[in-house]
Amino acid sequence: MRRTLVAVGCLCLGLSAGWSTFASAADRHMVQLRRMNEQEYRRSIADIFGPQISFAGMFEPDLRIDGLNSTSTTVLSITPSGFSALSAVADTIAAQVVNEKNRAKLIACKPKSDKDADHACASQVIAQYGELLYRRPLKPEEVAAKTKLADDLAKSKGNFYEGLRYGLASLLQAPDFLFRIEFAVRDGKEYTLDPLSRASRLSYLLWNTAPDAELLRAAQSGELGTQGGVAKQVDRMMASPRLESGVRAFFSDMLQLDTFDNVTKDTLIYPKWASSVAEGAKEDTLRTVVDITLRSNGDVRDIMTTPKSFINRKLAAVYGIPFDFSGEWMPYQFPAESGRVGILTRISMLSMFSHPGRSSPTKRGVAVMDIFLCEPTPQPPANVDFSVVEDTSGPLKTVRERLNVHATNPTCASCHNHSDPIGLPLEEFDSLGMHRTTENGQPIDVSGDLMGKKFNGAPGLGQALHDNPRFPACLARKLYAYGVGANTEDVKPATFKASYDAFVKDGYRLKTLIKTLANSPEFFRAPAPSKAAPAPTKTASNN
Amino acid sequence: MMRFAKKFDRRILLRGLFQGSSVAVAVPFLDCMLDTNGQAFAATGKKIPHRFGTYFWGCGLTKQLYLPKSAGQDWELTPQLASLKPFKSKFNLVSGMRVPLDDNPNFQHWSGNAAILTGIAPTQANSFDAPTLDQTIGDAIGRGTRFKSIEVACSGIKSESFSSLGGKNMNPPETSPMALYKKLFGAGFQDPQRPDWKPDPQVMVQQSVLSTVAEDRNRLMGEVGANDRARLEQYFTSVRQAEQQIQAELQRPEIVAKVDIPTDPGEMPVSKAVPTLQRVVPLIAKLVAIGLATDQTRVFNVALSESASTIFMPGDSKPFHQTTHEEAIDPVLQYQLTTSKFSTYSVEMFASLLKELDSVPEGDGTLLDHMLLLGYTDVSFAKIHALDGIPMILVGGANGRMKGGHHIDGRGDPVSRVGLTIQQALGMPAANWGKFSLTTNKPISEILV
Repeated sequence: MRRTLVAVGCLCLGLSAGWSTFASAADRHMVQLRRMNEQEYRRSIADIFGPQISFAGMFEPDLRIDGLNSTSTTVLSITPSGFSALSAVADTIAAQVVNEKNRAKLIACKPKSDKDADHACASQVIAQYGELLYRRPLKPEEVAAKTKLADDLAKSKGNFYEGLRYGLASLLQAPDFLFRIEFAVRDGKEYTLDPLSRASRLSYLLWNTAPDAELLRAAQSGELGTQGGVAKQVDRMMASPRLESGVRAFFSDMLQLDTFDNVTKDTLIYPKWASSVAEGAKEDTLRTVVDITLRSNGDVRDIMTTPKSFINRKLAAVYGIPFDFSGEWMPYQFPAESGRVGILTRISMLSMFSHPGRSSPTKRGVAVMDIFLCEPTPQPPANVDFSVVEDTSGPLKTVRERLNVHATNPTCASCHNHSDPIGLPLEEFDSLGMHRTTENGQPIDVSGDLMGKKFNGAPGLGQALHDNPRFPACLARKLYAYGVGANTEDVKPATFKASYDAFVKDGYRLKTLIKTLANSPEFFRAPAPSKAAPAPTKTASNN
Repeated sequence: MMRFAKKFDRRILLRGLFQGSSVAVAVPFLDCMLDTNGQAFAATGKKIPHRFGTYFWGCGLTKQLYLPKSAGQDWELTPQLASLKPFKSKFNLVSGMRVPLDDNPNFQHWSGNAAILTGIAPTQANSFDAPTLDQTIGDAIGRGTRFKSIEVACSGIKSESFSSLGGKNMNPPETSPMALYKKLFGAGFQDPQRPDWKPDPQVMVQQSVLSTVAEDRNRLMGEVGANDRARLEQYFTSVRQAEQQIQAELQRPEIVAKVDIPTDPGEMPVSKAVPTLQRVVPLIAKLVAIGLATDQTRVFNVALSESASTIFMPGDSKPFHQTTHEEAIDPVLQYQLTTSKFSTYSVEMFASLLKELDSVPEGDGTLLDHMLLLGYTDVSFAKIHALDGIPMILVGGANGRMKGGHHIDGRGDPVSRVGLTIQQALGMPAANWGKFSLTTNKPISEILV
């Protein structure tokens, strides 16, 4: 950590030259603000100050738009309660950075006296951490303003570190930290992100955290403005263990694993349910995906057919398998007769897309279409009578029989005929994901249909998804939307075509997709300045 | 309006009128008992501020069980409202008002909710076309308190709040009694009843930190593109509100009620199961009541559930919303039996909120007499997402500005009349409210004093 800081300290000396090159470019304009989400915030703090910094607080929820939470980062802002909470968290973090336990490690200079302001030392620390937090070097007047705060409070409190604490806290609640602010410059006839904004975009896509010192260096030297410079940094980042954080963050979003936060199961019907089951189920899914895509560098489509899983004691109880393993997570291969093929047959996906007390083929089918095929389902019409779907006391015993009623109503049929035959093959798993063979005493028919391809049961569904070209295309589309903060539905195929083609050609390896996307000019493409943007007013002197 | 000396006391007035004889009279509330901001005075001469709150539940009520046979002041309490009996003289039931959508679609479980809170039929799902009523009211009556508003999601869903400065950004709610306790009575709280109350010196420090943060405004507003302008403005509004909150912490709140500060309720299960909610809601209600009485906030929003409510009864496999759509209408009863039970639970939990608010004595009455509370839902008949006749319940005396005990038959008028009535009762200078077909200049004058 100390080494990083020294490196950053050196960077700061060169900052005014590097920064002004971009700042003075006449065509440079702000492209978008992206609100950091909780995971990005936590990873950034841990990487900048170290994992020993702990904090709890309320982070504002994301909002899923067109299948991705990341899209909402370009739509949402920070509300008053959200800001108050972040303000408190900022102070908690800053207090720990300067406390006696951490200061030797985290504060790179020693003040002349602990009991008084030391402008030079405070200013150095503000500039160091400011650069890492803002993902760009601070302008001299920014360093001056925050240092003045630190100096004033150090004097009034008679304590250098107390003053510094508030200087750092002001950085931690600044818009430049809480939002990733992206700028673009002219690139021939078009616009592209400036090198520092490229550094952030790369860092949050690949690592889900703030750019490190080396990435900031490459930005300031101008290397990230060139294709070769980008390629070099992408290679370095792909080789880092931090890539796993980036991949986990992407799949958490794409697979909608945060849905679990709002899932309650009826514990009268499912006594094995507990929120720890949800946590475990999420982790199982992420470990499985990481194992296939990163550790084995395999075909990402295999997540639909893999029998391999990772289970802990809680999950083992739900799956009904013995847990004889000394560690926390036991690699486990489901036997063929279990019917558990692919991530759709694990507790996470099965229980997230169910009701508290019963399974829902429609919810499951709709989720598969949205998550893996980029085919969102419209809201049902407002005025529909579903009564017959409900009545288990009548002649229609299974949900399949009851759902078939939809087929008789053309308005309903237009959607249910797509979603239900995808969900019905999963009916041998109940609302919690436990195996069953009958529903209300009737055997369950698990025949299914995915866009005209007929199959049987969960293994058939997994294979059909594996073989459907829409799945990898949807994945590539979502990765692009996730990386740039766009709406999945608005993404133009041309923007991710090159990376998608390389992905297909290389046997659907996720690493190839990420790498080619991060190297493609489209990943950094920016819109022209908006015409309606107000002319800079009295703030010109700050620019 | 005449201006009386601030120490004016209506008991003095009564003594003057009746020469001190003990005559039980209904005390009339006169404008001259309010100061120029419409605030009431307690017997001590201290001001009692206006307060406003909302209670939201999803999926409506059962017309056959809640709608009284007659309107006006003489109406019989219906089975679904039975739990509100102790408060019958303190609330008004509003039925029969409409949500005209103009050219907008009926966004299921959203349009009704948003129209009631903004006076505008929403143009997008899950997005408000204007700040919600509580926020507008908070700007008018919430000055000088630690929190402009407090949001609570009883079933623990992080995104379940219907309070917003506009757009898709909802004010994030507290999601458990413990979180609500910490917000109101945790760090930063000082009991205003204590003689040794003094401003925390740390507050001044935070103030200088925030003013440094606010300095970034000019630089960024000059650079930001048109798309993100409103978002950046919202961020700086939030910074300003944090500054105001800190300013408020430097001032000892002048309070009238004498209350015991609650203790930390601790961790407990929070979920959408009805029995859990029945345990959690009264605790939340108590905390909200004491938060108001100690003037930590004057505005609150309590949501029982999300709009398409998924509250459920353990052992029954289907939650509320799904039941509304799938349950058959009983041929004899002419309504959906299970659905109606969920609606009744929702009203009962509203009653448990009122109970706490009415049990805090304050000045010449209770907290409930000095506030206004809107209980509302998103639809009238959930099975078909009907928006005609969404039931609304207005509770509280609004410091003498609102009467109770009425059933108002809305006769197809726009729901925005309720929002307008609320603003006028709270002394806000609103002559009309709402947009397009929801525009109204007609408050419900029968219940305004």
